[in-house]
Amino acid sequence: MTTRPEVWDGSAAPMRMSVARRFGVSPLVGILIAVLLVFLVPPTIYLVQTSLFTTNFDGSFDQFTFRFYLELFTNPRFFNNLVNASIYAVGSAAVALTLGVLQAWIVERTNTPLRHYVFLISIVSLGIPSVLYTVSFLLILGKAGPLNLLLMELTGSTTPLLNVYSMWGMVIIEGIDFAPLTFLLLSSVFRSNDASFEEASMMSGAGIAQTFRHITLRLATPGIMALLILIFIRAFESFETPALVGRPGNVNVLTTEIYQSIQSTTPPNYGQAGAFSMALMLIVILLLVWYNRLSRHAEKYQTITGKGFRPRVMDLGKWRFLTAGLLVLLFIIMIGLPVGIVVYASFLPYYEGVTAKSFTQFTLANYAQVFNSQSFKSSIGNTLILGAATASLVCPFTALCAWLAARRHRGAWILDQLATMPLIFPAIVMGVAFLNVFLHMPFAFYGSLLSVILASMVRYLPYGMRYSYAGVLQVHRELEEASALSGARQATTFLRVVVPLITPALITCWLFVFLLSVKAVAAQILLVGPKSQVIAVTLFDLWENGQVTELAAMGVTWMSLMTVVSTIFYLIARRYGLSIR
Amino acid sequence: MLSVSGLFKQYISYDGTPGGGVFGADFALKEGELFTLLGPSGCGKTTTLRAIAGLETPQKGRITLGSRDLFDSQAGINVPMYDRDIGMVFQSYAIWPHMTVFENAAYPLQVGRKNKYSSAEVARKVKEALDMVGLGAFIHRPSTQLSGGQQQRLALARAFTREPHLLLLDEPLSNLDAQLREHMRTELKQLQKNTGVTAIYVTHDQSEALAISDRIAVMNEGKIVQLGAPKEIYNRPTSEFVAHFIGRTNLIHGDLASSAAAGSTATLATPLGPLRCFFPGAAQARSGIAVVVRPEHIRIRKAGAPVEAEGDNRLNGKLKAETYLGEIVEYVVDAQDASGGGKEFLVRTPFVQPIGPGDAVTLSFASERTIALIEA
Ligand SMILES: Nc1ncnc2c1ncn2[C@@H]1O[C@H](COP(=O)(O)OP(=O)(O)OP(=O)(O)O)[C@@H](O)[C@H]1O
Ligand SMILES: [Mg+2]
Repeated sequence: MTTRPEVWDGSAAPMRMSVARRFGVSPLVGILIAVLLVFLVPPTIYLVQTSLFTTNFDGSFDQFTFRFYLELFTNPRFFNNLVNASIYAVGSAAVALTLGVLQAWIVERTNTPLRHYVFLISIVSLGIPSVLYTVSFLLILGKAGPLNLLLMELTGSTTPLLNVYSMWGMVIIEGIDFAPLTFLLLSSVFRSNDASFEEASMMSGAGIAQTFRHITLRLATPGIMALLILIFIRAFESFETPALVGRPGNVNVLTTEIYQSIQSTTPPNYGQAGAFSMALMLIVILLLVWYNRLSRHAEKYQTITGKGFRPRVMDLGKWRFLTAGLLVLLFIIMIGLPVGIVVYASFLPYYEGVTAKSFTQFTLANYAQVFNSQSFKSSIGNTLILGAATASLVCPFTALCAWLAARRHRGAWILDQLATMPLIFPAIVMGVAFLNVFLHMPFAFYGSLLSVILASMVRYLPYGMRYSYAGVLQVHRELEEASALSGARQATTFLRVVVPLITPALITCWLFVFLLSVKAVAAQILLVGPKSQVIAVTLFDLWENGQVTELAAMGVTWMSLMTVVSTIFYLIARRYGLSIR
Repeated sequence: MLSVSGLFKQYISYDGTPGGGVFGADFALKEGELFTLLGPSGCGKTTTLRAIAGLETPQKGRITLGSRDLFDSQAGINVPMYDRDIGMVFQSYAIWPHMTVFENAAYPLQVGRKNKYSSAEVARKVKEALDMVGLGAFIHRPSTQLSGGQQQRLALARAFTREPHLLLLDEPLSNLDAQLREHMRTELKQLQKNTGVTAIYVTHDQSEALAISDRIAVMNEGKIVQLGAPKEIYNRPTSEFVAHFIGRTNLIHGDLASSAAAGSTATLATPLGPLRCFFPGAAQARSGIAVVVRPEHIRIRKAGAPVEAEGDNRLNGKLKAETYLGEIVEYVVDAQDASGGGKEFLVRTPFVQPIGPGDAVTLSFASERTIALIEA
């Protein structure tokens, strides 16, 4: 390879270079960039167009207009939504973070018994579809739920005291739903700190609580702050909880408003959905910029570790039974109760809360119905195909991109940027964007399983990138150079040295992307058709139709399947000593 | 001052297999002493130190500081680390990156429960400690902007601010480069003597240990194999391990015909001929007694040159190789035994001799430098 001249000297030579060369990009990188652009540019363009044109009945664009943007400012709902979304995001981030910090500290920093199981449990809980999780909490906290019954019993009130279809309901449910992921992300923050920082504090005469406050927490603060913004963004753009909890109580946020403009308005108000989407995206972009700043700052503290690094745990003495109790309590709240109530509901002919009478009516009818239903079977099949296809497309692709970027191939930074770009699309916004792309295809594409897979692939590119990058960074450059010096070409080096070494990371990547892509409903709800039903959407529809017991039976079946997948994932991860992040 | 007896700590891995640790250590420190734990990597030095600090709970043993029991497995005593009044300098320094130099050093004064200090007192004590280690000028720097050597000083100052009864230092110099290391070790010793604090120093560097210690405990595989002043350890090793670990040495095996009293000189029959050896302890007549001679205690000259001192052991051999090391010259000599076979001897002398490889040479060394490895 010739080196590019630093300054163009005015001669004609550079003109003869290939286009790719001229832009300082190697051919392979050029091809990959082109692939990414094919997937990223159309949805972006269509999204912008949707917000700037009126849309005809057949979906084609009509007249150019700024109307939808102007309406943003005149529409009181917009500001209302914005305020709601902010409160909701702050609240649920606080809940998730509190639970996450507590668990991460106990698991990573103390000698609490049972602590290692939290990992398994957190990963298993990732396999529970968000819709199902939200529904289970609605069953627990709802009007006929056990908590309200208990409170009525205690206070003698004749009407339910708690109304879960409200802001606090949304905050609690989303917070708890996001806690396991928060824990997984935070545990690495806590793990990467050298234990001697804490030991030095204890040797200075500080107790456990003081050490936690002055040292552990302070050292983790940049990491926690970065994570806080991340959860905030996630909550801000989340759809399931607002749709299932907020909407019935008339607490709307931006995402539900977008969904409603398309799904519950006839004809669909694409323009408004587009403008709302653009506004939401702008906010997310600003937050992401802030997040990137902070997370770079977060790494600052982690560079100071000397020789003799010992990630050790603190001996809590007798207190460790208290922390173990806390872990068990959290487990009951976060997994035990929700799963319990769903299992319980799945055996009932109809759901009317937890009553003594219900226990005499147990039936397997729901399961019989679920297993005999063709649509349920195809829904499971579709979902498995969706997850597997998304993961199988995303992981190898991002592995290649990550490697090129990590090894600073010319122009590979563009790959890195492009592959992480989908992060700025909230799931529901991405749904709107792809919906428009697919509607405008010259052939019938909308509603096909392939279309859902493509959208899902784009959505999970950034996640794949993150895992691949971590894997590639672990491969020491000299290992590759040794291969090159042995006479191997770059492609050979990549296949024979890099791929085997990052395989464990790729497995993590695959399973994580798989679990995430089948868990969420928001990315798919606007895209699926009758032939491409997937579990999350099916569950969502069942809830909307009030078919609680069928939903429960279906949810239990799916959860069992996912628990098997997650457990295999966990075992593989432990076997290879992978960090689960 | 500090006494450690029967200290036993074995690490048990997750699957229950027992691993390394310390297997029964006994020693006692005198007031104001700089005591060194020396041994190869993995011999249990850090474990011993951490057990004293309270960062590790031993399975057996007793640790007493002054008149206070810190740990006693039988009586079920285990004083928590923050109550032990022990200062420690960590191998990684553990300088908190989110605090300034001042905040790092002040921390022990602010969090301690026993003594409450006013902020003026804290400021004064911190200033004192920082001045002592020469960091007075850096007091308001963020601690991340310190060099390795400065971080090390700060760690030291932090350990000193609370005026602990005992100071523990775990390889405090191992992160520094060779020159700074030598400089800092002199400073450290000065500081320790000036403040009079009793200290345990851990290192695997024998020259560092010899240079700064009042006494050294040599450890191997979780046990203390010899304990004594540096000179004693160096000149009177009691085991092959210590002889080899502390400096380089020549080892010969021989048979003792009649028993030797402690402190006497006796003749040992070796394959190289009879050698007069010093016996630090009493020994019965037996075969296979090991003796060591340090390379720098051997004189070398051309065969046939006049003898300088009577009573010396003498061996003939052929010069195999010479290495010029600057201040000294190192010779490798093949000493001939009765059967004509050879035994390599290492000789170090500050004087360049008029000899070259292939020359016939004579080695001589004093009987009191020929030490039988028997415990006194
Ligand atoms: N947390 C631990 N779990 C299991 N084994 C351990 C642990 N820490 C140390 N060991 C083992 O105990 C033995 C003694 O370790 P220790 O850290 O005391 O060695 P050391 O003498 O300080 O070595 P070095 O000079 O390398 O620091 C070693 O065999 C080590 O592998
Ligand atoms: Mg050590």
